[in-house]
Amino acid sequence: MYATRNVKLQVRDIHMQFGDKIALNHASFDVYEGEFLSILGPSGCGKTTALRILVGLQEPVSGTIYKDGIDITSEHPSKRGMGIVFQNYALFENMTVFENVEYALRIKKENRSAEARKEIRKKVIALLEQLELSDHLDKKPAQVSGGQQQRVAIARTLAVNPDIILFDEPMSALDVATRLSLRKELKRIQNDFGTTMIYITHDQEEAFAMSDRIMVMREGNVIQIGTPEEIIRNPADEYVRDFVLRNLELKVNSLSKFIKVSNGT
Amino acid sequence: MKYMRHNGEQYSFRSKIQKAGVLKAIIAVFLAAFILAPLVRMFFYIGRDSINNVITSPLTGTAIKNSLVSSAIATAITMVLAYTTAYAIERSNMKGRNFFSIVFVVPMLIPSISHGMGILLVLGNNGLLRKLLNLKFSIYGLPGILLGSVLYAFPIAFLMLSDVMKYEDSSPYEAAQVLGVDRLHQFTAITFPYIRKPIITIVFAIFTVIITDYGVPLMVGGTYTTIAIVLYQEVIGRLNFGTGVLYGIFLLIPAVIAFIIDLNNNDSGNSSFVTKAFTSTNSRLRKCVGYIICSAVAAIILLLVISFVQLGFTGSYSNSTLFTLAYFKEARNYHLGKYLLNSVIIAAAAAFAGMSIALATAYLTTRMESKASRALHLLAITSAAIPGIVLGLSYILTFKNTALYGTLFLLMLVNTIHFFSSPYLMMYNSLSKLNENLEGVGFTLGISRGQLIRDIIIPQCKGTLVEMFIYFFVNCMITISAVSFLATSVTKPVSLMITQFEAQMKLECAAIVSLCILIVNICAKAAAYYLKNREFKTTKLKHL
Repeated sequence: MYATRNVKLQVRDIHMQFGDKIALNHASFDVYEGEFLSILGPSGCGKTTALRILVGLQEPVSGTIYKDGIDITSEHPSKRGMGIVFQNYALFENMTVFENVEYALRIKKENRSAEARKEIRKKVIALLEQLELSDHLDKKPAQVSGGQQQRVAIARTLAVNPDIILFDEPMSALDVATRLSLRKELKRIQNDFGTTMIYITHDQEEAFAMSDRIMVMREGNVIQIGTPEEIIRNPADEYVRDFVLRNLELKVNSLSKFIKVSNGT
Repeated sequence: MKYMRHNGEQYSFRSKIQKAGVLKAIIAVFLAAFILAPLVRMFFYIGRDSINNVITSPLTGTAIKNSLVSSAIATAITMVLAYTTAYAIERSNMKGRNFFSIVFVVPMLIPSISHGMGILLVLGNNGLLRKLLNLKFSIYGLPGILLGSVLYAFPIAFLMLSDVMKYEDSSPYEAAQVLGVDRLHQFTAITFPYIRKPIITIVFAIFTVIITDYGVPLMVGGTYTTIAIVLYQEVIGRLNFGTGVLYGIFLLIPAVIAFIIDLNNNDSGNSSFVTKAFTSTNSRLRKCVGYIICSAVAAIILLLVISFVQLGFTGSYSNSTLFTLAYFKEARNYHLGKYLLNSVIIAAAAAFAGMSIALATAYLTTRMESKASRALHLLAITSAAIPGIVLGLSYILTFKNTALYGTLFLLMLVNTIHFFSSPYLMMYNSLSKLNENLEGVGFTLGISRGQLIRDIIIPQCKGTLVEMFIYFFVNCMITISAVSFLATSVTKPVSLMITQFEAQMKLECAAIVSLCILIVNICAKAAAYYLKNREFKTTKLKHL
């Protein structure tokens, strides 16, 4: 089904190592326009390095990244049209929720005029309303909940209109209920804005619940990339079977007995 | 699909890294030029004559022995006092804790030599307490040095120990209680391993502070000669620089040992991030004991300040109550105003320069890490290993025939270097705690590093910046060590008027000077407190 879709990002033969340790071993993969791609693997498998290279915070030893056919391997992070949301949010603690989202727009040279300022305000307020943060505009990040902080971080990224957003384990610090509602939220944003999303996680369940496609990684290597169904039907090797499928099975089994109980009564 | 290089501005990582590297190199060269180079230069003044002088002088052995003995005892007393008071304040809910913690740091606001003088005023031949307690022994010599040194070093130890206790995690103690571990074993199994390394660091720091100080022994030492005194007299009195350098090297030894120990401690330390604060559930007896000790220490400190006021404004140690401005006027005739202004200028300039350089250095070492960062970090904390009196000596030998000699700028420079490491570490810690991804997020949003530093990093570190400024300022106001050899009659800071008045036996005027320094520093501290706590006016945003 993806053969007809536009390729947004082409990653070709990206290699990265720190000293002797190989973080990414000549990785190549494509990301389609508008899809939700999860990069799944245990900690230390190179997924965060991949993300930092994609967004431009680190330069690979070798290899090329094309976005819409243009080589962006050495492009400044601000010129890639990509946004990033980190696990620990990295909000600007000294600014209010509103200012956090507004700041990057306000400092742009072309936005100096009063007219442009007005437009920015309108945009930021609309955006925060969409993310259900309207009641918290004047609060500092420390005064809102973890889930709300994460939504501020997302709003801040959306404000500069990236066509790709990368997420670095954005839900690890949140409780289960908040996670579930944020999952829906992310899928809704993906639909509304048509944004391509690359989502890094070590949580199999999360990856399978949200993704159009999943990329499984291990020790710097891309092991398999495909839709959740493809991975379940044809796991590439023992590792995928073990790390992905067995873990999911365990979770399902541990819960299924309760389902039987509740069905029985 | 056509693959082509983007025509726009190319972002090169390598050029960015090089820019940071150049800045690192500039700061490193600056620090090396003004810390290490003078030190190396100093060693060339050691000649055969000076070595002979030191070896054959009967004073050398006595002075070394005296220095070691007095510093060791004073350090021990200081540590016990500081531990008890810090424990009482950090681990109990007794009343007046805020009052005590304010009073306890007052001694840090006046020069060491003033403490020596305070001891004389209270316990000297005509001293207030002496008559009251009918003391017979002479305060001159070892007893005076011990008392003065303890007073001078106590607040430093108190602050360091309070800090250690503040960040100790209480959950191991709760676990121990649940497991039925008794108090003694709690101490040996939990407390001791936790405080061992910080205590060693603090002990060496305090020992160094005491052994390198010449202010207290100059005032109350009598015939009890210490190394710092011999160094001071050789250089100031006899202009024997070579001999002075040899004694300086001796004073460098404990400081260098402290530095190395501290370095090793830091490498393995700071691993716990989540700490649970202690809830104070102290028995009445312990609270009572804590209260008595804290009150006694506070009383001694306040007595000292009162004795300055009394001597300065009545001219008497104890009984006269006639208020007079005569000594204040006399001090003014000796240009109190001018030298006070000198001090304030030096202190403010050094504080501003030091704060800025320390901020830049800490940013480079914490948030633009590379191999060069580590070297720069080491260089930045090196100044802590050089006692002020040794630094001053190395400066006079390096700069005495240059245009810098006899300028306020040189005094500002030596103070900036002398007090650099602590404020640097304050900022280093603050910046390390800021979210590591701020720059990453900023870059993707199109925020430059400069904008990020100006609008996000600095506003979040405002409190630390104020603390750094005040640390430089207060220490520049009270120091008599690094500046003593460098000041001329024109550039003299006000603190050195005390040594001058001491030599002229005008203790009344010295008391006036001490009070002036105290008042300026209290004002500075109060301003800092106000700045740190005030609600910064944020421009209200109108949301359409």
